[in-house]
Formats: sequence, C-alpha cells, structure tokens
Amino acid sequence: MARDLAPLVDTLAEIVGPRHVRTALPERVTYAKDGLPTHRRVPGVVVLPGSRDEVIAVVRLLGALGMPFVPRGAGTGLSGGALADGDAVLIVLTRLNRILKIDARNRLAVVEPGVVNVRLSVAAAPHGLQYTPDPSSQTACTIGGNVAENAGGPHCLKYGVTATHVLALEVALADGRVVELGSPGGEPWGPDLVGLFVGSEGNFGVATRITVRLLPVARAVRTLLADFTSLRTAGEAVSAVIASGIVPAALEMMDQSCIQAVEDSVYAAGYPRDAAAVLLAELDGAHEAAVAADAETIQAVLRAHGARSVLVAADAQQREKLWLGRKKAFGAMGRLSRDLVVQDAVVPRSTLPDVLETIARIAAEYGLTVSNVFHAGDGNLHPNISFDGRTPGLRERVEAASAEIMATCIAAGGTITGEHGIGLDKLRYMPLLFDGDSLAAMRAVRHVWDPEERVNPGKVVPVHACREWSGLRMGRAPNPGAQSAIRNPQSAIDRKATAR
Amino acid sequence: MTDRGGFAALDPCVHCGFCLQACPTFLATGDEADSPRGRIELMRAIEAGELAPDDPALALHLDRCLGCRGCEPVCPSGVGYGRGLAAARALITSRRGVPPLARAALAALTGAGVSRVVYALTRALRATGIPRWLAGWGRVRFAMGMLAATRPAKGGGGRRRLGEVGGGASRSNLPPPPPTSPVLLFRGCVMEGLFSHVHDATIRTLEVNGYAVREVPDQVCCGALHEHAGLESDARRLARLNVAAFGDGDEPIVVNSAGCGAMLKEYGHLLHPDAGGFASRVKDVTELLAARGPRPGAPVDATVAYDPPCHLLHAQRIAEPPETVLRAIPVLRLVKTPDAAQCCGSAGLFTLIEPAMSRAVLAPKLETLAEARPQVVATGNPGCLMQLGAGLAAAGIPAVARHPVELLDESYAAAGYYA
Repeated sequence: MARDLAPLVDTLAEIVGPRHVRTALPERVTYAKDGLPTHRRVPGVVVLPGSRDEVIAVVRLLGALGMPFVPRGAGTGLSGGALADGDAVLIVLTRLNRILKIDARNRLAVVEPGVVNVRLSVAAAPHGLQYTPDPSSQTACTIGGNVAENAGGPHCLKYGVTATHVLALEVALADGRVVELGSPGGEPWGPDLVGLFVGSEGNFGVATRITVRLLPVARAVRTLLADFTSLRTAGEAVSAVIASGIVPAALEMMDQSCIQAVEDSVYAAGYPRDAAAVLLAELDGAHEAAVAADAETIQAVLRAHGARSVLVAADAQQREKLWLGRKKAFGAMGRLSRDLVVQDAVVPRSTLPDVLETIARIAAEYGLTVSNVFHAGDGNLHPNISFDGRTPGLRERVEAASAEIMATCIAAGGTITGEHGIGLDKLRYMPLLFDGDSLAAMRAVRHVWDPEERVNPGKVVPVHACREWSGLRMGRAPNPGAQSAIRNPQSAIDRKATAR
Repeated sequence: MTDRGGFAALDPCVHCGFCLQACPTFLATGDEADSPRGRIELMRAIEAGELAPDDPALALHLDRCLGCRGCEPVCPSGVGYGRGLAAARALITSRRGVPPLARAALAALTGAGVSRVVYALTRALRATGIPRWLAGWGRVRFAMGMLAATRPAKGGGGRRRLGEVGGGASRSNLPPPPPTSPVLLFRGCVMEGLFSHVHDATIRTLEVNGYAVREVPDQVCCGALHEHAGLESDARRLARLNVAAFGDGDEPIVVNSAGCGAMLKEYGHLLHPDAGGFASRVKDVTELLAARGPRPGAPVDATVAYDPPCHLLHAQRIAEPPETVLRAIPVLRLVKTPDAAQCCGSAGLFTLIEPAMSRAVLAPKLETLAEARPQVVATGNPGCLMQLGAGLAAAGIPAVARHPVELLDESYAAAGYYA
C-alpha cells in the first residue's frame, strides 16, 4: 500500500466496517487481475461496501480527498477495465447482490449492481420472464459490470446488447452526488443519458441501482448445430443465414481447436471433434409452427452452404448442453496452454471468411495456437491465443500477433471491440480508429461526469495529449495504412510481415 | 523442470472466474481473496516465492477455504484445485506449524491412543443425553449438537424405527442369498469412534446385496485431516500403513465416509506411483449397493432430503448412487433442495477452527431445509452428519441427519431380511 493511503483506511473502515477494508498485500494481490490476466495492477486499498448508502459514503469520501477509484464487479471483464493502480481505491460491489424488485406486470426488475446476471433470470423465471443479455460469463459476472461494459452475449444478436435492456440508473458521480438517469417507463425526450452511461466502462461513476427490462421467455425454441469441414465455408454460411431474412436469436461459431477444448471438459456437448468449425444457431418466438418453419429454412440454408450435418436439439436438456459447451468454451482454453489472451473485434459479417483465414495465417506465421469462439451473427470475433508465458520471448510474439489481428480487423472495416470494452488492453488501438478530435470529444464527454478523471483513471481514452495523437495520425501510418488495407487486407499483412 | 507437486495442477487456470459462484466462502463474503480464483493467485504467489507462506493475511484466506472442491466440477479447464491446496497448505505448515487448536483436535480425533479415550468419554457423555439438551448456537453448544447428532437412532441395531409402515409390506422379503463377493471395510477414526452403528448398517446392507464384508486388522486413519492441516508427511505415513494393511489383492475397499473415501482415492497421487492400484479399489458403500440394484426393502414413510457430501459429489464425482440407494426404499419421498450440492461448512476440522465462516456457510442451507421440511437429511460423511445435525437442532428444525445406509438398513430390518 502506498504510504499516503494509510489515513484513509480508518475512515473507510468506519463506513463499511474493518472487515470490509483490505490493505494487506496478499489480499490486494487477489484483485490484481480480471478475466484477461495478462494485465496486472495491484490496487492500493480494496473496499467492499455492503449497501448503496455505504457506496455513496465511500465515493463521497474519496471525492472529498480527491482520490482516484475504480469500481469492480466480479472481475470477469476481458480488457483489464476493473484494475486499479497502487494509488487508487478499488470499490468491489459483489456484496450489493440484492434483487430489489421484480415487477412482472411491467416486465422490469430493479437490482443492485453486484447481482450476478444469471440469478436475475432465475428469479424472473417463475413469472415466465428473463433478463435477456447473456454474456458467456453470465453465471459469474454482475449486472453492474454488464452495464459498465455494455455487455453482449449470444442472444444479443436478436435482442440487443445490455444498453437495449437498461431502463434507468441511479449513479453516484465522482464527487458522490447521486443522479437518476432514465425512467422505468423509458426516456422519451432529451439526450439518452442512460445510453451514454451504459458502456462507459466505469468512467462516469458508480451505478448503485439498476432498472432493467425483462422479456418473456420464448415459448418456442429450436437449437441447431451445423458442422463444417472448412472454416471458410462456415464463415460463408453465416452470411447466408442472415441473408435468408430470418433473424436467429443467436448464431455462434467455434473452430476445431475450441471444439477440442470443450469436448475435453466437463461441459462436453457432443460437438463433432473432426469438424473444422461448428455453428450453433437458435431460432425462437412465440409460435411453435412459425419457429419450426424458420428452423426448417435455416437448416436448408446451412446444408446448401456446405454444412456436413445439421443436428436439431431434441429437447431442452440437449439444448442446454449445446449452450453450456459454447458458454464455457473460454474457460476451457486453459486445457490448451497455461496462458491465454482473448481478443475482441468486430468485422463486417461478409468479411468473416477472409478475416478468419488471415487470422489463421497470422497464427501460423507467429507459431501460435489461435482458437476462435465467437458471435458470428454479429461478426464479433474472439480469437483466443494460447501460449506458455514461461517461454522466453513468447509474450512479445503474442503481443505482436494480437496487434496484427487487430490491424486486420480494422483494415477489413471493423472495430477494436464488440463487447469486452477498451479498458487497458485496447488503449493502444484507439488512435488507429479515432483521430485526435474524436478522442478529445470523448474526453470532453467524460469531463461532464468526472472532470478530474478520478473514476477508473487511465482507461478507455488514451491519456496522452490528443494533439499528440492527432499529429501521429495525420503525419503517417497507421491511418493511411488502414485506409489502403480496407481495399486490400492482405497487402497490409504482407507489408508488416516483410517489415519484420 | 523440478517436481512442482500439486502446484502444477493449478496451471490450467486462465482466471475466467466461472468458479466464483460455486464457492461457499465467496458467497459468504463476496471477497475475491475468499474465492477459488483468488486463492489460486495466492498459491501461485507462494510457489513463485512472491509472497511468504506464513504471511498471516495470506494464510487467513487459505485457512478459510473449506476444501469442499465445489469449484472443481464447474471448472471448464479442469484445474486440480484440491491438489494445489494440499501443496500450498503443506508449504504453509512447513513454515508456520500447525495451529495449537488444530493440533489438539487432530490428536484427539486421530491419535492412536488418545483418540480411544476421547471417543470413549464422548460416547459416555452422549449416552447421558445432555449434549442433545444443550445443542444450540455458540461454540460449545454447537459442539454439543454435533455430538448429539452422532447418536444412533432409537432402537438401533437394525430394528424398526422412524416412519416405518408395518412389516411384511415388501414384495420380496425372502431371505437374501448368502453373500459371495468379498469386500474389505475401511473403518476410519470418527466413523469407528462415534458412528459404529453406521458400520453395522453398512455390513448388514452390503450382505443383503451379496457382498461378504471382511475386517482388515492394522488399518489406520486415512490421513485426510492431516493433509487438510498441511501435514503431508504424516498423511503419507498413514497412507503407506493402509496400503500395507489392505494388501495387494483386488477386493474392493468399502468406505462409508466421503472424506475418507476421497482421501483413499488420492493415495495414487500422494504415494505415486506405487498406490494407483489401491486407489482404484476404493468404493463408496453407495457405489457397491447401487451396482447391485440395491435390493428393495420394506416401505419407510419419511420425507428425506439428500445432501451430498462435497467429498463424495465434488471430489469423487459420485452423484447418483446415494439417490439410487434411497430410491430402493419404497414410499420414502426424496426432496431436492436447490442448494443441496453446496458445502454445509463442516469440512473436517474447519467447523471447530473457523466457526464463524463455517456457520455462515451453513446458514443458507438451513434456510432451504426449513422450507423443504424433511424429516431426515441424509448425507454420507461423519463431518456433514454432525454439522447438519447440530445445525438442524440449533435452528429448531424438526429433522435429523442420518447416513443413507442407515435408512436402507431400517428398511431391510422391516422387510425381515435380518430375521
């Protein structure tokens, strides 16, 4: 702990109780990582408030002292977004885990930020309702974290990401003032402040109370598993499915390496191990006949576009098994090697076949294992690079390959995150995507909420002077390179390979 | 590379956090340092020498781990948390020693000479009925409740008891065929000292199902409590003695304590490579019974909540057999509670050494049991029987904790199989 944090600890302990302030090094070390453990920051103090009032009191105190702080949920984020440096206080919200209200008639719920995503759906199930955004980590991640990151999930293809489902927020601002954003009935006029807050990655304050929309559990569901002997064909089939005009509830892809990891685990779902890739497609709706017809159509489309076989889940149990395999795939990557980096990028769906091939080529060039498991329907890629960090020089190679994969995605007309956020991990790519004025505008928006940049400092927008970035961008690559790469993705890769 | 022992089993952890909600202590505190993922960070740090194993702030959170291994079956990468924990605790103990309370409890419960006296005294105390009368919350009263929970059900010895629906109701009360398959009984310490009636029930029910139970002289404590306390060399010494006592035949070794069974199955890793064969012979009593059906008994009119011991469900991955055994009892109603698979907070010596955390872990389970209103909570481990029995008594829930084979034994007695 940095020395100047010591006087703070007593006051924090008065607010939350001494048991809920963590100052010893071993305890702080356990908070040094999130779900992307290549980034590591040991917080100065960890505080675990137990109620909304305690959160507000803690934030107010830190505001009065002018101290930086970082809100954290379950720490399952994948961009280093919930890490705090030694001079910052980490506010852990896991104890705020109460579902305050389920209003079945108005189809909404009010929750504290530490409520675990899946628990809300479990609690809403007796009413025939669910909280729809279903990140793969939904059995662990918190709704507060989902709000901060604007989390996605397989079923967000049809139903929209977290932002679509948040109706209102109570937020403690950087100085401890509490503001209400939105309303349970929606926000019919004025700026969409809820929309602004959702996905702000903890930069705008701490959500202390969240009102979300609940949707009816679909009455009819069909889950299809199609397998392919080539990654390219699977990628092409994705576009064909979307082009059919039917919007699947979810459309997910897993490649062979990912299939092996899942099939070796307790979540083995029966994916064919010899497939180059599988697509998991789900159709749902209120009417059995309509969903059955859609499923027939999609089956035919998949077969026409190269699926070797298409399996339709026979019952709810098999459906759940197929989904569990997909949702636990990220956690199964430890079977491939002891270290893991997951990337998150979005590309136009039509470019999936090319981009997947380019990623495979980059992996081969760097001698790395890349596994793909992702939201294919959204073009939201998640290349997972498995490696053993003890091998000298390997971490650098992984970094270089990651950067090249990102450049490929940008060159293909994509962007650098679909749902994991910028956090720490993607900071370096922001200037590839935005010019200095755009970055300056982002910071200006932040200053409305947090003028001193004390909440989750050092994340999302690069801290260097925007003018500096502007100069970099105007002067030379990466922007011109990215521009030409859009026309010819391969040339960008070749140029980099030659340079190396 | 040097032999990293159990620490290597932690390597597949990629920090996804999918274990968090499966951890009873994380659910109790919400603190990452009390979660499997946080503890793995601590174990890795002591292996790498980045943190001192005897740092009290580190040891606190590893001490507070129940060792229930509820994180293992949910881990997509198959992290060997239990093995890592054993290695870490051995390292901590090598620096810090065993805390006095734990050392005293170990000697009292497993020490060859001492424990005999302790068990005789506790049985005498139990017979007075005072512990049952004193059972409640608070350290002493809870311990009294634990002792009271070890009392054989009234009648005892395979005679008729609770909820029985009259004899002769069974369709198959022909005398069972003479037992032919030999099995060797592992007796253990607490089971032998306080639950000998469960051993009796084990022998009788196995015999009805065709197993001839043989006694094995010179067997000793399984060493599980020693391993939990980080006394790896003691555990290894006991393991060697047991391997020698049970010989190198191929008869199954039957265990009715989930904690002992899990430990005996770990001997292959503890003594590698010379005990793999031993470990594969170890069977929980419900595994053997389920393999034979088991033979149905007479009806028992009781509502039973099955509460799987962590060391059966998570460590040994035995889920179905105990329920199969209970379903062999006609009329008996098996109720499911949503958090049955979660630890009860017993965890060997944990309930004595970390009472606050132990009770915090037990509390939500008692709430769901109060709602489910069973007459019996069935669980196949001495620690869980005592913890749940004490908890039920303290919370004023009118239910008793019993081993599944006790219930089958009662059903068989009513069916006239022991006539």
